[in-house]
Amino acid sequence: MTSGRTAVTGIASLLGSRVLRRLAEVRPPESLLAVDVAAPPPALGVRHRPLDFTEPASDQRLLELLREEQVETVVHAAFFTNPRRDTGYAHELESIGTLNLLAAAAAAGVQRVILRSFTAVYGARGHNPNFLTEDHPLQPEPGLAWVRDKLEAEQHAAAFARRYPGMSVTVLRFAPLFGPGVHTFYTRVFDHRVVPLLMGYDPLVQLLHPEDALAAFVAAIEQAPGGAYNVVPSRPIPLLTAYHLAAKIPVFVPHPVAYAGADLLWAAGLGAAPGAFVDYVRYLFVADGEKARQRLGFVARHSSRDALSAYLRYRHPHAGWQAAEATS
Amino acid sequence: MRTSARVVPLRPRAGPKAEARPPDETLHDARDGFLVALARVLEKGGAGLDWARLAEAWSALYFAWHSEEVDEFGYDPKFTRTILPLFEFLYTMWWRVETSGVDHVPDQGPALIVANHSGVLPWDGLMINLAVRHEHPARRHCRMLALDMFALLPFLAPLLAQSGAVRANQENGERLLRKGELVGVFPEGVKGVGKPFKERYRLARFGRGGFVRLALRTGSPIVPCAVVGAEEIHPKVASMDWLGRPLGLPYLPITPTFPVLGPLGVIPLPTKWSIDFADPIPMAPYGPEGAEDPILVNRLSEQVRSTVQHMVDSRLARRRSVWFG
Repeated sequence: MTSGRTAVTGIASLLGSRVLRRLAEVRPPESLLAVDVAAPPPALGVRHRPLDFTEPASDQRLLELLREEQVETVVHAAFFTNPRRDTGYAHELESIGTLNLLAAAAAAGVQRVILRSFTAVYGARGHNPNFLTEDHPLQPEPGLAWVRDKLEAEQHAAAFARRYPGMSVTVLRFAPLFGPGVHTFYTRVFDHRVVPLLMGYDPLVQLLHPEDALAAFVAAIEQAPGGAYNVVPSRPIPLLTAYHLAAKIPVFVPHPVAYAGADLLWAAGLGAAPGAFVDYVRYLFVADGEKARQRLGFVARHSSRDALSAYLRYRHPHAGWQAAEATS
Repeated sequence: MRTSARVVPLRPRAGPKAEARPPDETLHDARDGFLVALARVLEKGGAGLDWARLAEAWSALYFAWHSEEVDEFGYDPKFTRTILPLFEFLYTMWWRVETSGVDHVPDQGPALIVANHSGVLPWDGLMINLAVRHEHPARRHCRMLALDMFALLPFLAPLLAQSGAVRANQENGERLLRKGELVGVFPEGVKGVGKPFKERYRLARFGRGGFVRLALRTGSPIVPCAVVGAEEIHPKVASMDWLGRPLGLPYLPITPTFPVLGPLGVIPLPTKWSIDFADPIPMAPYGPEGAEDPILVNRLSEQVRSTVQHMVDSRLARRRSVWFG
């Protein structure tokens, strides 16, 4: 349907690599382009154009590249799922990198930009409604660098969408991925027997199966409707129920201790995430997938429970759990 | 003791597959119940603590009174069924609730029950829920919209969500009503539930008419509801709000039993209750655009408030005793 090329960034990330692979299956490989420091798997036959978004003047190089290759669609998936200690690098890649990418795309006359984002950008707040719609203000915890960079990337995208009406910018806010192949700081919690939990809180969480994420991503690339879309599983699950389904032994931690303890462990180089992430297991940040259903035709095939059980089967295939128990 | 931890007993659903498992795998089945699972842990005795089996026992205990799947707002039917006997005791024996006009609640489709709020703790919401659940021919489940002060309180918040309450805001209310649910709301909010004893049964301002806008936008009829008896369960004679505020509470009451009797002071007094429902006020004739008309919203809000106040007053006029009705 598109004559021009599609460039994919962040191909070393879980979603980026899967999107590239899926596109290579359904489209001629010469219509695709991997723009990343990392090279794509040679078997895909997708051309690699190395580019580091954190370098100065990367926007100039990207502009030349996009013009040269006659790129029509840019899929931007170069974001870190795990928090990083070198927040400066993450900021350069995610916030500034997205700004540069959007500037180059606008100058090169790219028609469609698809941006990977996170439902975490809404921020986990006590006062959130149970279902966050796309027009809900983005108010994440300002002290958390991980989410601030994602928020800034979204703000750049919104600003460019306003300034260049000819360029459609589609933002996909994915719920936390959970399932086969997902290795993140929050899935690793489920690799332990004894797991911490906040005392007195049991929020509903959304766990998105990567297959659903991929289906939504491909639908958005094909339709490029513009605007923001939540991509969420069919049902949320209470955190404590998830722990008990996985037969974990929860250890209840009072929340003031949790914030301080997580910060301390993070500072000591032992923790997986800074204390501000405790908000995400304390309060709701459940997003509403209705807009994606209506405009993208995307309906998640898996619930949060399915995603959890798929992940556990994948991590512990010999544990006696009867496979293929997936919901109808 | 087992050398390697065997994780992932994400428990299979009921079905023919459950029988297909090898015999030793039945250990992973939490449906055996907590005591069986615990016995299996203890059976190992001196063989040491087996974390995997302990986790299963814990999981069995949890799922003995929780569902594995909840609705999108976190309502857990199994948990509700488990704690229902306690609430039924309060309804029938403790407060001897007398209801009238429960037939005014529509059998199906969206409707908004609007009631006066009182009693320091949100027992009145629970009793309205039970009144509809038990006395209404359609046995409807009323989703109460809970104030932030309760819905965000640690420990209480998960319990409220599991028993079907939803945090009060326009988005949540609208979503429930559009699904055709019966929703209960207390527009007085904190001013109602935390009012001092000397102001009992004098209804506070009905917020800013948010409940009317909600009903207008969704075309849901409003069913006025008056609760009498709840004002006296925790007579708030004074308050220590200065102590409550650092704890995140808008008020911390002093009642004849709290804090003097410590935890026992949380037990509500056994007053005699009545819950009256009035004729539904239809909202559909005004159309959803009525929600944008502040004069109309205020007028309807005041109409509902005065109806509830009138119902409370007429009940009080007939009441001879706080304890016996």
